[in-house]
Amino acid sequence: MNHGQQSGEAKHEDDAALTEFLASLMDYTPTIPDDLVEHYLAKSGFQCPDVRLIRLVAVATQKFVADVASDALQHCKARPAPVVKDKKQQKDKRLILTMEDLSKALREYGVNVKHPEYFADSPSTGMDPATRDE
Amino acid sequence: MSNGGGDGGSQQRELPGKRKLFRGSDFAFSIARMAVAQICESVEVNSYQESQTREGVRFSSFQESALETLTDVAVQYIQSIGKTAHLYTNIAGRVDGHSLDIVQALEDLGSGLGFAGVSDADHCLADSGVVKDIIRYTGEAEEMPFVYSLPRFPFSKEKKPAPSFSEVGAEPPDEHIPIWLPAFPETKLCDRSEETNAATIEGEIPRKENGSSLPSMQHSFDGGRLDIHKSPKDVRESPKAVVEGNPFLTAPLRIVEKNVSPVVRPLEISNEVVRTNHVADKHMRNNHHIPVLEASASSDKINNKNWLAESEDGEKEDVARKQRTLVRFKIGTTKRSTCLAKSRSFQEEGWFQENEDKREKKSEIKEKRERIDSQLSTQM
Repeated sequence: MNHGQQSGEAKHEDDAALTEFLASLMDYTPTIPDDLVEHYLAKSGFQCPDVRLIRLVAVATQKFVADVASDALQHCKARPAPVVKDKKQQKDKRLILTMEDLSKALREYGVNVKHPEYFADSPSTGMDPATRDE
Repeated sequence: MSNGGGDGGSQQRELPGKRKLFRGSDFAFSIARMAVAQICESVEVNSYQESQTREGVRFSSFQESALETLTDVAVQYIQSIGKTAHLYTNIAGRVDGHSLDIVQALEDLGSGLGFAGVSDADHCLADSGVVKDIIRYTGEAEEMPFVYSLPRFPFSKEKKPAPSFSEVGAEPPDEHIPIWLPAFPETKLCDRSEETNAATIEGEIPRKENGSSLPSMQHSFDGGRLDIHKSPKDVRESPKAVVEGNPFLTAPLRIVEKNVSPVVRPLEISNEVVRTNHVADKHMRNNHHIPVLEASASSDKINNKNWLAESEDGEKEDVARKQRTLVRFKIGTTKRSTCLAKSRSFQEEGWFQENEDKREKKSEIKEKRERIDSQLSTQM
C-alpha cells in the first residue's frame, strides 16, 4: 500500500477529517440500531469493539437505503400520472413503494431484483412505520 | 435470554433450517425492516423538496415484498461491508477491525456506482470520496433515532459454559479434579430440602439457599464482569428449580391429606382421648384439689404423647391441637373448663353469638309473622 506516502501534509488533514467525523459519530445516532449492525457484522465475521466503526457502517447503510429509496421515489413519481391518480391520489397523496420501482432503483446499484410477475401483494396501509410493520 | 423470534408478528416461527427462505421470522430481520421503513419514510422529503415546488412527498406505504426486498438488500449490504472489511483486516495481518478497513470496504462496494476520486488508484483512504459522501449525508439528513428503544438486543453472543470451580469459588471434592473444570451441580441442597418438613419448606428454602450458595458466589464476583456474574446465577437457578419442584410436588398431596382424611379420624380419636382425660381430671379435681390449669396441662401432655405417636409431621400436630381445643370446648361440663376453652379459642365465642343471633332472628321472624297475620286478620 503505497498510496499513503505521497503527500504528507494532505494526509494529515484527511486523517484529521476522518477522525473528526468518527468522533462526531459518537453523538450521532443513526436510524439503524447499533446492536443490529453489530449483530450482522458479527455474522459476517467482522468484529470490532469500537462503537464508532459500527456507527460508520450504520450511517453508510442508512445512506445506501436512503439513496435507493429516493431513486425509487423518483421512479414512482416519473410513472405516468393517471395510473396513480385514478386509484390513490383521489383519496390522499399516498405513494407506495412498489416492487417495480424498487427493482428499477436497485438495478442502478448493481442489485438485480426480478419482480415476480404474478405475485399478488397488497400494500400494507398505515401511517406509522412501526405499527405497519409489526 | 430468549431470542425474540416471536416478534415477527405476522409470520409464524420457522425452523432454523428454513430461516433463509422465510427471513421475516427473524427478530433481527424484523428490526431491520422497521429501520429500513423508517429511513424510507423519513429521508424522502429532503431529497424531493428540491426538485419540486410542491410539498415534499414521501412514501407513506409499502408493498410488503418491496420492503422485505429492500431490507434484505440492506442487510446484505451490511454483511458485505463486514466481509470485505474483515478480508482487508486479515490481509493486513490483523484480527480486529480498523476504520480504514471499513473505508476500504465501502470503496469496494461503491466502486460499481462510482464516487469522487475512484479513478485515482493511489489516493489516501482517509481522503476517500465515499467518506466525504457519508459526511455530507450526515450533515443533510435529519438525525432520526430508531423509533423503539431496543431493551437489549436479544441475540446470543455466545453460549455461556457452566462455571468452573474457580468461578464458583468452590473447591473440587477430590484432588484429582482440576479447578478449571466445570463445577458439579449442587446436590446437597436438594437432599436437605427433601428432608425438611412440608410445614417449614417454604420458609426455610430461601434461607438455606441464601446461606449456602450466595456467599460463595459473592466471593468470586466481587470484581467480576457481567458474564461471570450471570453464569452462576443460572447455576443457582438450576438447583432452585429442583428445590422448588419438590414442594410443588409434595404440597398438594399434603394439603389433600390434611383436608380429607385427618379431619375425620382425629376427631373421633381425640374425642375418646379427651373424654378419658376429662374423667381423670374430674377425679383428680375432686380428690386432690389440683388447679385446673395444671390438670389441663397434664391432659395436654398426654394428648401430645398420643399425637406424637400417631402423627409423623409437625403440621398434623398443629391440626390436632386446633381440633382438640374445639373438642375440649364441647365436652367441658364445668364452668371453669368452658372458660378455659373460651379463652383459648375466640372462634368458639362466635358459636354463642351465632346461636343468640339465630334466636333473635327467629323471634323477629315470629314477630313479623304475627304482625302479618294480625294485619291480614284486620283486613279480612
